[in-house]
Amino acid sequence: VFAVRSGGATGVVVKGLEDRNPISFRMEDKGEVKCIKFSLGNKILAVQRTLKSVDFLNFIPDSPQLEYTQECKTKNANILGFCWTSSTEIVFITDQGIEFYQVLPEKRSLKLLKNQSINVNWYMYCPESSVILLSTTVLGNVLQPFYFKSGTMSKLSKFEIELPAAPKSSKLSLSERDIAMATIYGQLYVLYLRHHSRTSNSTGAEVVLYQLPREGSCKKTHILKLNRTGKFALNVVDNLVVVHHQDTETSVIFDIKLKGEFDGSTTIHQFVLPPRSIQPYQIPVAGPASVTSQSPVPCKLYSSSWIVFQPDIIISASEGYLWSLQVKLEPVVNLLLDKGKLMDFLLQRKECKMVILSVCSQMLSEPERGSLSVIATVFDKLNHEYKKYLEAEQSYTMVVEAGLSRSNPLLKRPVRTQAVIDQSDMYTHVLSVFTEKKEAPHKFTIAVLMEYIRSLNQFQIAVQHYLYELVIKTLVQHNLFYMLHQFLQYHVLSDSKPLACLLLSLESIYPPAHQLSLDMLKRLSTANDEIVEVLLSKHQVLAALRFIRGIGGHDSISARKFLDAAKQAEDDMLFYTIFRFFEQRNQRLRGNPSFTPGEHCEEHVTFFKQVFGEQALMKPTTF
Amino acid sequence: MQVLPRGMAADVHKKKGWEVPNGSLAPGDGQHAERSESPTPGLAQGTEPGAGQEGAMFVHTRSYEDLTSPEDGAAVARSPEERRGEPAEPTSMEQISKDFSELSTQLTGMALDLEEEMRQSKEGKLELSPQTTRRDSVLSGKEEEDVTMDAWRMHRKHVFVLSEAGKPVYSRYGSEEALSSTMGVMMALVSFLEAEKNAIRSIHADGYKVVFVRRSPLVLVAVARTRQSEQEIAHELLYIYYQILSLLTWTQLNHIFQQKQNYDLRRLLAGSERITDNLLDLMAHDPSFLMGAVRCLPLAASVRDAVSTSLQQAKAKSLVFSILLSGNQLVSLVRKKDQFLHPIDLHLLFNLISSSSSFREGEAWTPICLPKFNSSGFFHAHISYLEQEMDLCLLLVSTDREDFFTVSDCKRRFQERLRRRGVHHALQEALRTPFYSVAQVGIPDLRHFIYKSKSSGLFTSPEIEAPYVQEEEKERLLGLYQYLHSRAHNSSRPLKNIYFTGPRENLLAWVTSAFELYICYSPLGTKAGAISAVNKLMKWIRKEEDRLFILTPQTY
Amino acid sequence: EEKKILFYHPNEVEKNEKIRNVGLCEAIVQFTRTFSPTKPAKSLHTQKNRQFFHEPEENFWMVMVVRNPIIEKHKDGKPVYEYQEEELLDKVYSSVLQQCYSMYKLFNGTFLKAMEDGGVKVLKERLEKFFHRYLQTLHLQSCDLLDVFCGISFFPLDKMTYLKIQSFINRMEESLNIVKYTAFLYNDQLIWSGLEQDDMRILYKYLTTSLFPRHMEPELAGRDSPIRAEMPGNLQHYGRFLTGPLNLNDPEAKCRFPKIFVNTDDTYEELHLIVYKAMSAAVCFMIDASIPPTLEFCRKLDSIVGPQLTMLASDICEQYNINKRISGAEKEPQFKFIYFNHMNLAEKSTIHMRKTPSVSLASVHPDLMKILGDINSDFSRVDEDEEIIVKAMSDYWVVGKKSDQRELYVILNQKNANLIEVNEEVKKLCATQFNNIFFLD
Repeated sequence: VFAVRSGGATGVVVKGLEDRNPISFRMEDKGEVKCIKFSLGNKILAVQRTLKSVDFLNFIPDSPQLEYTQECKTKNANILGFCWTSSTEIVFITDQGIEFYQVLPEKRSLKLLKNQSINVNWYMYCPESSVILLSTTVLGNVLQPFYFKSGTMSKLSKFEIELPAAPKSSKLSLSERDIAMATIYGQLYVLYLRHHSRTSNSTGAEVVLYQLPREGSCKKTHILKLNRTGKFALNVVDNLVVVHHQDTETSVIFDIKLKGEFDGSTTIHQFVLPPRSIQPYQIPVAGPASVTSQSPVPCKLYSSSWIVFQPDIIISASEGYLWSLQVKLEPVVNLLLDKGKLMDFLLQRKECKMVILSVCSQMLSEPERGSLSVIATVFDKLNHEYKKYLEAEQSYTMVVEAGLSRSNPLLKRPVRTQAVIDQSDMYTHVLSVFTEKKEAPHKFTIAVLMEYIRSLNQFQIAVQHYLYELVIKTLVQHNLFYMLHQFLQYHVLSDSKPLACLLLSLESIYPPAHQLSLDMLKRLSTANDEIVEVLLSKHQVLAALRFIRGIGGHDSISARKFLDAAKQAEDDMLFYTIFRFFEQRNQRLRGNPSFTPGEHCEEHVTFFKQVFGEQALMKPTTF
Repeated sequence: MQVLPRGMAADVHKKKGWEVPNGSLAPGDGQHAERSESPTPGLAQGTEPGAGQEGAMFVHTRSYEDLTSPEDGAAVARSPEERRGEPAEPTSMEQISKDFSELSTQLTGMALDLEEEMRQSKEGKLELSPQTTRRDSVLSGKEEEDVTMDAWRMHRKHVFVLSEAGKPVYSRYGSEEALSSTMGVMMALVSFLEAEKNAIRSIHADGYKVVFVRRSPLVLVAVARTRQSEQEIAHELLYIYYQILSLLTWTQLNHIFQQKQNYDLRRLLAGSERITDNLLDLMAHDPSFLMGAVRCLPLAASVRDAVSTSLQQAKAKSLVFSILLSGNQLVSLVRKKDQFLHPIDLHLLFNLISSSSSFREGEAWTPICLPKFNSSGFFHAHISYLEQEMDLCLLLVSTDREDFFTVSDCKRRFQERLRRRGVHHALQEALRTPFYSVAQVGIPDLRHFIYKSKSSGLFTSPEIEAPYVQEEEKERLLGLYQYLHSRAHNSSRPLKNIYFTGPRENLLAWVTSAFELYICYSPLGTKAGAISAVNKLMKWIRKEEDRLFILTPQTY
Repeated sequence: EEKKILFYHPNEVEKNEKIRNVGLCEAIVQFTRTFSPTKPAKSLHTQKNRQFFHEPEENFWMVMVVRNPIIEKHKDGKPVYEYQEEELLDKVYSSVLQQCYSMYKLFNGTFLKAMEDGGVKVLKERLEKFFHRYLQTLHLQSCDLLDVFCGISFFPLDKMTYLKIQSFINRMEESLNIVKYTAFLYNDQLIWSGLEQDDMRILYKYLTTSLFPRHMEPELAGRDSPIRAEMPGNLQHYGRFLTGPLNLNDPEAKCRFPKIFVNTDDTYEELHLIVYKAMSAAVCFMIDASIPPTLEFCRKLDSIVGPQLTMLASDICEQYNINKRISGAEKEPQFKFIYFNHMNLAEKSTIHMRKTPSVSLASVHPDLMKILGDINSDFSRVDEDEEIIVKAMSDYWVVGKKSDQRELYVILNQKNANLIEVNEEVKKLCATQFNNIFFLD
């Protein structure tokens, strides 16, 4: 924002939204300033004082502070305005066309890159998409977009705005005020505020969205029903269209991603939430400390002195304030009762994560406990988003691993938006808390957990082990072992070593858990050692040995380990069998049944002798 | 003192007119060695290892007695000699050791008591209380056992014998008196079902079975906690039944109860309890009874032949069987032409000998009935050990009660021949190692086996070694064999092969019409290993058969 | 004496006869107490029959007498009848007897309960009422190993479909909030049970051997008619009540449901059993007996459950066929086997045809089935793992395998296979059928 003080040399103070330190400078007064703009990066200042020309002033350190001027090329055309499309490129909009220049600050001159003659009623520039929209024709409802990019100017296909009623006269009937340009969900839209007209039986005014693609023709895609009349102003915040209504001093929010009724070409949207006012702003009273006692004055909202700039700027001329509009999500939760719709809405917002999580926790606990089907849909929506991200991530890594990353430079790691709510988020913020509280009947608790797991499976997302643990913990707390058994039977809780170990630990309270965990280890097929350990711990030395032999590892195992186990089993027959087995192994491998000192089986040999006698030792068979 | 009554006894026999037409000593249950086709190549019956080449020396036996046939209708035949009731020389009796003489007194002298009782009861007198002499020598303290204690309940196998009147005849544990009420119930159950033209067989509960065997006039009951099948237990009870017959003969037994329904048989059997006890103990760890076959003392063929011929040559007119045995293993057996000894009878003889140390003291001459051979008459057995320290017992079975000296002379001649043939030393050697070790077969995983040649009625089996060192382990092993055997010979669902993988050992049973093989080996042995072991073992037995079996049975 | 007898079948038997026979049972039991006070007789073998004793509740005894089969033999011309005493398997029939009790208990509660409710009279009535019908349904001659297991056949299902069913059940229980337990079956096989194992076991037996077979025919008809067409949108569905009202539109329709008793040894719950079926999918809703289900409730249930269940049923059907195609399990299984897991009562038999209302027929010779029975009883003597392979006289091989509470029985008719080949076959079977469980070889 430029504050220009005239009289003598003009003093200028420039304030931005973000940067706290305003630029301030003075320049000699050469007549009233029509329009003044910095180039991107605040290197060059452009000032329009006359209808014909624009003056320039370099702000590059140690470069001459001398102004230089550029006149518009077209004869007897008046400059309506100009706008920077890059740090050194500028576009003049005249009533007869546009001229695209490159500024050469060191040469202190401009170079015409391109120009296009066309009758212009007014223009509109959208910096974020660097598109200029020109209103042409008599009625002015034919709009001609231009697109600028690094020295090139491309003309996009023009389009016509349907006016509410056939204009009586051939006077300009599409005013600049009713048009706005903004990027919503990555697409550039032209928003047209179509006022209520008695003739057309429309219920109040509406906002019509024309999608403006880089190439191809622009088409009318959305209609936002305002259902009221009067003075309106638009902002676009966080991909939401916010329409302020002055008479009621409220604003309504539209989300074009939400479902609306589709009539084949365009979708008609109602506003997402009931009209609400912008949170009032208190003007801190400036002045000496002595008078701070008096409370701050609430500033007048929706005042007629407001000027809105896209996307989210509101300027109150009267109060001399500049705001950027933001959407607070917390209140939305209670305004939007349809949880499914709420999720759709929230998932599109930037700062949604915490809100979403809180919504989840809320719907799981009294008083506003949601029905299972609602919970299910919410989970599905979350996991849908989650899955999309995972897939992007996966394909990215695949490409990277394939070493193709260099070949296509525009490939970049997918950004993880807040909308991606993964299992650990759910676990830490929602589910674990929820199961801890134990206020809900266990049936419900389990149902919820199963729903979540179901949803994850539905989107083929690998379920994390801690979720299973949560399920098991809950089941065990309520002695629902048979349930647990059935889940495992159908592999609802997928196999993993930690899970198998968890089951083992349950054996004391639920014996079948032993079998379950063994099966699991077997299926894992990478857990043979664990299996042997389990069997040995149960003194099932034979089983262990048979198993090892089954997988052909019996020549490498430690004799001592098995003999120890056999001895602990306190079953002489067993001990004999195991001892014999290893005697024979020794015979087979070393041609002698006796144990080598390395095997540390002396005590077992002694024990064997003392139980079965010296002669029972295997004699070396000689061939 | 003993002479007179025996004379009288003989008279009684005459009076009662027991005689039956002079029958030949035909095999007891009239079975013949039928040759069944062989299912196993190279092992036609009679050619399997251990098969006798010149026919069998035993009556062919089924694995089980036919338990459903109410009685074995033995041809009640007695040798003509039996009829002559001349008093024997007292001297003959003096050689018999004290306690055994008492027993035989009971047996042969029973007629007297019977007569007296009859008379007295006719005179309306009360029945005599059992003689004070009975059992004094065999009191084993078991009488004191309290039949209500768990200790008593937990015995692995109870055996009870009772008369149809419900009177106790024998109880393995606990005194008959204490158990008379229990036995009463048993009898009640039996007769209850018989009243309905039905017959009680067994009662099954968790961990134990009660098996009933009906052999009129007796009822035998076993309560077993073993893994044996009903059939096997019944089979053992039958042994007990035969054991009793061997002391009384079937004819006498029936006669007694025909005379006196509620006769207390214990007074007759007094002193014989130990034999029965011994039989039961023997059955608990000797597979012979299970196999229905006899085990031979491993002996070089030459030595055995020498022994056999010596036996053969030391014959006498009245001799039916000459048997040389050691422990419960057969060394040699010579028989009268076409007279066959049933393994059961031989087992009973083995048991008789092993149950009394008294035979070591000299020559015993005792009447004995071989129930499977002829359940109605007594033979007279001459029992003696060849030498004091040597476990070699000679048993000469004669048909003539009076022939003691002739038979005793046979023994002398036999010993003298042995000496002459100079096999005596070799015999002693053999006796030093009465069992062979399974290690000789050379199969590391092999622990033990039983091989039975059906045609010869003989079986062989190594010594039970480690890991079966504890007594209960030995019995457990036998239990496993019993289990396999009962499955293999299940009367309605017999099996050819059984392969059992257990927690402590693996077992394999292979039953053909020619032989039966049971092997026990390491639980870590594989099936392939088992198969090769069987083949190797069969080869080995074939190689050793003339040492392990009697291939050439001799006749006089 | 006669008072002791609560129920006697056949009732025609003359009074003294009854008393005598009962007396014998008492005598036998008492007699065995002398040898084991705590473990009295389980069965009595006689020449003509076998008698089975069961004391389900203290001082209440159930006895079942089964006659030994008779065969006619010809001894020198004239026919002699002989009892085959080794044909009946104790374990089979004692299990049958125990099931009789469990089934009674399921529908009537314990004997003791009846006594409390109204003394001997009530108990006698209930016994009469129940067993009079139930005994007809027993087919003793065709009882076999499966009766010993009394297991549950589970429906093979992929994880996702199973989860779908899960959330279906959860939602139903939520919207029909008086429902206490739910069970879900497909093709007469269990998929989910909210009941405890033992109660489910007997309920399952009732459903599969009695209730479902009775309703088979209409269902088959329902299957044929086109369904996909009018499925979505309108509430057209194939749901119907197997218990309770037949016609919901009839305002007079009776909403009487069978009562069942579960958890009798602790909480002792009395429930209404609602069985609702759509195509091959059946759901059992069990609601507390204190809340009598009204017609409105039934209508509600029908309107909520009907469509969803119909959908689910066709989903499952699709999934099942897909899985079948993948595993190629359509063709007749080459292995004849019976599998049972004591831990979850899971049972699988390729030997038995699908259970008909009357009997479950085995497709192998009865003797082989009996050998299975023998092996099973051998197993039950010790709880260690064992394996028994036998070759019958018929040259069939029979394999019994017990591994960690699981039992597998296989019958192979490779007549002249040897032990090793047989072993290989079994290995193959385990690899194909049971590769996902831990099975020792």
